[in-house]
Amino acid sequence: MAHHRPQASISRRTFLHGAGVTLGLPWLDAMASGLRASTGPQPQPPRRLACLFFPNGVWQKDWIPQQTGREFDIPFALEPLADLRNDLLILSGLDKAHSRQGDGHYAKTANFLTGMPVEKTTGKNINSGGISLDQLVAQHVGSQTPLPSLELGTEPVISGVDSNVGYTRLYGSHISWQSPTRPVAKEINPRMVYERLFGAEDGSVAVGGQHQHLLDFVLEDAHRLRKRLGRDDQFKFDEYLDSVRAVERRIEFHQNRGPDQWDPQSSGLPAPPAPGLPDDFREHVRLMLELIVLAFRTDATRVSTMMFANDVSGRNFAFVDGVSGSHHELSHHENNPDRIAQYTRIVRWHAQQFAEMLRLMKSIPEGDGSLLDHSMILFGCGMSDGNRHDPNNLPIIVAGQAGGTITTGRHIASPKNTPLCNLYLSMAHRMGVDIDQFGDSTGELTEVDAG
Amino acid sequence: MLVVVVTGASVNADDAEAWRTRFSQEIQPMLAQKCLDCHSEDDASGEFDLTMYMRPDQLLETIDVWERIARRVRNGEMPPADSEALTDDERAAMLGWVDNAPRDESCRQLASDESQRWYRGHVMSRRLTRFEYNHAVRDLIGVDFGLANMLPSDGAGGEGFDTTGDSLFLSAIHFERYLAAADRVAGAVLSEDGNTQTPDLLMARQRLLAPGQDCESEEAAAEAIFVALASRAFRREVVADERERWMQWYRDARGRDEDHLAALRSLVTAVLVSPHFLFLVEVEPDEEGVRALTGHELATRMALLIWSSLPDQTLRERAEDGSLLDPSVARREVRRMLADPRSRALGERFAIQWLDLGSLGTGRRPDAERFPEFDPELAEAMRGEVIEFVVSMFRADASLLNLLDSNETYVNARLAEHYGLSGEFDDTFRQVSLDGLPRGGLTTMAAVLTNTSFPHRTSPVLRGGWLLERILGERVPPPPADVPALEEEGQALVSRSLRERLEQHRLRADCATCHDRIDPLGFGLENFDAIGRWRKDDGGVPIDASGRLPSGEVFDGPEELKQILLARRDQFVKHLTRQMLGYALGRPLNRFDQCVIDDTLKALQRQDYRASLLIEEIVVSYPFQHRFIKK
Repeated sequence: MAHHRPQASISRRTFLHGAGVTLGLPWLDAMASGLRASTGPQPQPPRRLACLFFPNGVWQKDWIPQQTGREFDIPFALEPLADLRNDLLILSGLDKAHSRQGDGHYAKTANFLTGMPVEKTTGKNINSGGISLDQLVAQHVGSQTPLPSLELGTEPVISGVDSNVGYTRLYGSHISWQSPTRPVAKEINPRMVYERLFGAEDGSVAVGGQHQHLLDFVLEDAHRLRKRLGRDDQFKFDEYLDSVRAVERRIEFHQNRGPDQWDPQSSGLPAPPAPGLPDDFREHVRLMLELIVLAFRTDATRVSTMMFANDVSGRNFAFVDGVSGSHHELSHHENNPDRIAQYTRIVRWHAQQFAEMLRLMKSIPEGDGSLLDHSMILFGCGMSDGNRHDPNNLPIIVAGQAGGTITTGRHIASPKNTPLCNLYLSMAHRMGVDIDQFGDSTGELTEVDAG
Repeated sequence: MLVVVVTGASVNADDAEAWRTRFSQEIQPMLAQKCLDCHSEDDASGEFDLTMYMRPDQLLETIDVWERIARRVRNGEMPPADSEALTDDERAAMLGWVDNAPRDESCRQLASDESQRWYRGHVMSRRLTRFEYNHAVRDLIGVDFGLANMLPSDGAGGEGFDTTGDSLFLSAIHFERYLAAADRVAGAVLSEDGNTQTPDLLMARQRLLAPGQDCESEEAAAEAIFVALASRAFRREVVADERERWMQWYRDARGRDEDHLAALRSLVTAVLVSPHFLFLVEVEPDEEGVRALTGHELATRMALLIWSSLPDQTLRERAEDGSLLDPSVARREVRRMLADPRSRALGERFAIQWLDLGSLGTGRRPDAERFPEFDPELAEAMRGEVIEFVVSMFRADASLLNLLDSNETYVNARLAEHYGLSGEFDDTFRQVSLDGLPRGGLTTMAAVLTNTSFPHRTSPVLRGGWLLERILGERVPPPPADVPALEEEGQALVSRSLRERLEQHRLRADCATCHDRIDPLGFGLENFDAIGRWRKDDGGVPIDASGRLPSGEVFDGPEELKQILLARRDQFVKHLTRQMLGYALGRPLNRFDQCVIDDTLKALQRQDYRASLLIEEIVVSYPFQHRFIKK
């Protein structure tokens, strides 16, 4: 299998231009041999879901198009997406009613993808109200890929508690929740993400068949220990058991591949990113978004989340022309025109990174179309105006047509009080999750449907 | 071994009744007259509705709220200047009433039948934090592999620390990383060819294999090696049936054609990913109530508190023979542990989290154009100063008040240059005298000053808020959403100083309530720029570092500001104690814990605020030495 040469069609700005390397790719090899034995028709490309979160809201006048439908003028903050407008659904009017109470930030970030009330606590009974959209989908489609889902970010979990508002800051660092009471750790180191997906350069993989016996032994020991713990401690301890089982599942995955699986047509893998955390934030974000595309292209996973930064991020955005200040500080623009101008440029920068990711996905052919055509990439924030912290009329964009089931190229303005979760329900259905309700949904957001 | 503590036959019931009566007769009427106009119901000022805490039968349960109120009154902040003041008698009555709350009642109720229903002192069995994990592997094997960065970062809960069980989660990625790390460690220490190992690893290998040296068979050697390793890793004795299961694991490995060395590697790997190693387990017996920790459990809590690591040989021996349960032995051990280099963890893990310096130089950082001097190396030097300073205080058993003001600090070459200190310096931190300089104590350290600034300028608001919260333990309500327009940048910036603009801000009554407390403290530090360098002017405008607090106290410059902080030393020490106790217990504190804080403060007052005493008092305290059994 010749996976030594990078695909020529991919932008030279990506790390894909690096020298190709030979890596142990157990599942790619397994799939290729499986397919050679099979004579059936090529299966349809699977659908992918990514949810990208950026902090601190938007200046709405520069985000929401004035016209609805197909003929809308691209607002300032979305200009970097102008050439991609036919791949986008701009959604205004969606609300997260359960965030109207509680603190300005934490109660709006942790439930970005759950839509349910966030428990006010500095530690006891941490609860985001529900399972997040991505994790729900991962529970349904995750068994078909080596990793059920991939959770990425650029910053470590914010440490400490905010005793003034009575929330643990941890809430501002997690949008993926495996259950209402269990956030999923996110990975911020690009090299380690790469190695998790494809193994290390020396050909070794983090987990492999050599660990099978060890896992059996560890699990047995853990079960004995669990019996001796108190009830609350048992719940906590179950996280350990689940973590071990997840590794076990990953090992078994490679041993049980069927011939009818999707062939990702991976002709090459890029060189791994440099070790350590990138110094440059722009580089960091670019690498993380490209890793999602890479994971989707190689079918290493079909579900991913990414936090551009934790909420309340005070990152200095002076690297953007016309900006000289930090993100959270400027988001409290106090209706000062100069601050608004800077604030909206920061939002625009985020839209630009999103655009780059979409272009990359469009350049990757898959089935009858591109990788983007089979995906849904959600891009948004859990509050609207950063100065007011409103959870109404949220900034939400969905890119990609989810295999022809969404008609993109429109701005849909939903009536007041339409739950954001209606969109999530529609997205879950497109990922094959058969549920009647998600979060506080009152029905599907049928306006997105193709037709 | 179950010790159920019996309630001390409510000796204080009468006192409590008298205290409640005093509230109804003296305090309540006064509150109604002077406080409730503002602090009641929906439009309560500062979102503080006093009426919620005035039910006589619940006064004791909300004593922490009353303490906060008393603090504001004592500091002259309430009632505010534009309201009718309390008379001296009223003020004395209010403070006297709060100070005389019958504390002992709640302390002794700790394990009564009734309190068990709602006692929240449960310490959760939790996994090690990623730093504890790295330290534990380091002390177990003898080599620092720097494994912390292999694991995802941990959040925090409770009083704000990562040691809180409720906020430590495990995701799928964790076990992948534990496994990869264990493979790496076992492979490095027990590599095929010992001759190619570094001296460090070779020594670690010899230490690991030593227990099996004189054994008759490979299997007997494996068993000896395992028992020595596991009893340290699991922080307890390895029991017989457990030993047999692990030896079966070794034999199975041999059965899979692994040679002795490979099977030993499997054994080491398995120990490093075992839940007995990764989890802090305090097993619960069947009976309800409170039990004293076993010696090994106590040793583990102590080692995690002071070293963020495993107990060492000495501590294990004290645990084994039970002597550690004697408070005087425990105190001696605390002092020994503080003197040990591993106590650096108190600076790295406790102080950095307490002072909120973890994200220094990563998240919000100084603007690269405005402050080209600031780089990761300088950030590390700044953080290093705080760590060295705090750790040295514990090692030297100096006064905790040094944290507020000191004539000495610790710098390396980079920081000495930043501070403009002359002398010979290199990469290592060295104690320097600050005599005659305006610097000294935590509040004037570059790490603090930088982390409480915006990228382009200082922020008296952030600095004042930091002092109130982190040093004095006050609550600072968040700014309301939708703050009205404030003339800020542009033309105004040139013509008016930051102070003028913020003073304009405070003319509004709703802003003034909080900013009158916050801003003056921050202005006291205006002589330090956004990366902590001394300055006399800001863009040509001379610095005015004077301030007036709501209490009427005035000061000019950092030295006088520190005198005001020192006058509030007990408020500071109480807060520090609270933080340390929260870090030690790994859970949110409750009102029973107030007894420990009060006792600790008294002990510290008696003995010159000796730093080691803070740790000693916590280690011998009831909640640290006991486990509550929740059913």
